Amino acid sequence: MASKPSAWRQYKILLAKDLRREFHTKDMITSMGVYALLVLIIYGAALGQTSSSLDVLQMSGGLLWALFVLTSLLGLNRSFSYEREAAALDGILLVPMDRGAIFLAKATSNFLFMLVVEVIALPVFWFFFLANTGLPASMPYVAVPLLLGTIGMAGVGTLLSTITAATRGKDILLAVLFIPLIFPLLYACVTATTAVLVGSVDFMDAFFPSVALSAGYDVVMLLASWALYDFVISA
Amino acid sequence: MNAVLAEIYSTIIPSAPYIIAAYAAIWVILLVWLFLQFRKQNKLAAQLDVLEEALAEKD
Amino acid sequence: MAKTKQPKLPEIGQWPDRLAPAAIIGALVLTTVGFLMAFFYAVPVNGAAVNGAELIGGSMVTSKLLLSQKIFYFHMPVAITSMVVMVFMAYYCIRYLTTREQRFDMCAKVCMEVALLFVIATMITGEMWTRFEWGVWWTWEPRLTTYLILTILVIAYFILRTAIDDPERRGVFAAVFGLISFLDVPITFMVTRIIPSSLHPVVMRESGMTLDMGLTVAVCAVGFLLLAFGLYRFRFRGQRLAERTQALKEALDE
Repeated sequence: MASKPSAWRQYKILLAKDLRREFHTKDMITSMGVYALLVLIIYGAALGQTSSSLDVLQMSGGLLWALFVLTSLLGLNRSFSYEREAAALDGILLVPMDRGAIFLAKATSNFLFMLVVEVIALPVFWFFFLANTGLPASMPYVAVPLLLGTIGMAGVGTLLSTITAATRGKDILLAVLFIPLIFPLLYACVTATTAVLVGSVDFMDAFFPSVALSAGYDVVMLLASWALYDFVISA
Repeated sequence: MNAVLAEIYSTIIPSAPYIIAAYAAIWVILLVWLFLQFRKQNKLAAQLDVLEEALAEKD
Repeated sequence: MAKTKQPKLPEIGQWPDRLAPAAIIGALVLTTVGFLMAFFYAVPVNGAAVNGAELIGGSMVTSKLLLSQKIFYFHMPVAITSMVVMVFMAYYCIRYLTTREQRFDMCAKVCMEVALLFVIATMITGEMWTRFEWGVWWTWEPRLTTYLILTILVIAYFILRTAIDDPERRGVFAAVFGLISFLDVPITFMVTRIIPSSLHPVVMRESGMTLDMGLTVAVCAVGFLLLAFGLYRFRFRGQRLAERTQALKEALDE
């Protein structure tokens, strides 16, 4: 019996396939990036009546995460449509692949795309709305909620986009399933991000529990998504 | 009624509509649902009878 | 593959159906008793202190008596019941995923319907309480937020079901979503509860329950649990009838 490649190698192959396609077409990054920019332009109109950037600062965490969730939804919707259209998934499933590896590869590529867009969008947001306020000393900590939030969104989102890719009216359905499920993570990440951006002396009071809970959410939801993925992808 | 008693009972009357609404809501929700389901099931049972007869005739 | 033992499927006329009518009657009796207990047996809860004291019914009262708290005697048992029904929903989801019997998918769906009923009832009673006690129709308080999310998740479950035609696939996707939303609810509660919010401080009202309060809640809770069971079997019967009618129609068409 021919030994089949280990789960780790399958994971690397699948991930490399996604990244290579993205590298050639730049499909996801462009569409997500443009979409993020459009949301920022909407914010420009929405925040036109605020008198000082301090008003914006109090909401910045929420505004940023609203932007991240919307762009992630766009990316997640597209991440599986290609596989379904090209029937690439059936090809993958014919080979005795490790289902966990498929999930992790897809989640990782979604995670990377989201992260790239977020890393671009955050400074642009700052430039547009908060340029007058100095950078708070706590700024580097923003990486923590950003990472944790993106991991959670990519994990749950990968499971849900696999589900909705096979349904009617998939775009709106993904939003309907994704947003309530992601709510606790969103709540925690918004709190942590706002605490960091406002950067008051006692920001750790809100930052630490939020980050701990985001991490807890990630662990529980990633394990659940990983365990349930087998059922979803074979259905 | 003296002032102290009036104060002790001060929130009772204003809160009454909300309490009545809360209890009524539970009952109304359950009853409406039960009524709808009951009607649906009666219809189904009648349909089932007709179908079974038709099947018996066909055989 | 060797055929594993056929799982025993829930069906009309099994033992739960013999208990269901009794459960419904018991539920009606217990909720009525609980309702009467809430107003005539449970001692009113004290609110803000007043200037002075007054003798009412043989004891000195020095603070406002809160009637609004009576909402709690139906509100909390209904909330507990919705959670218990969700647990059964999760159980049937797991059963479906392991056996792939359509019957279990149907059971999970019926559980979700009953849960939706109780979740909506919880939301409405909670609203009435919030409106009177806090003076607002809505606040992002942990329990309210959790129930809002739960409501949306349950509705999303049904939207997901209508979007898929193939019964096997619908069952799997619905079960997976049902399980993951079941996990999401406690996390939502913890997150909204633990994280300090600058605008709406967490309202801590737990002052413990006295025996008369506990007893009233217990009577109502048992009543509503029995009611949920009765409703579940009732709805289950309806679903089975519908399935049979469908099967007969197909048989006739041939």
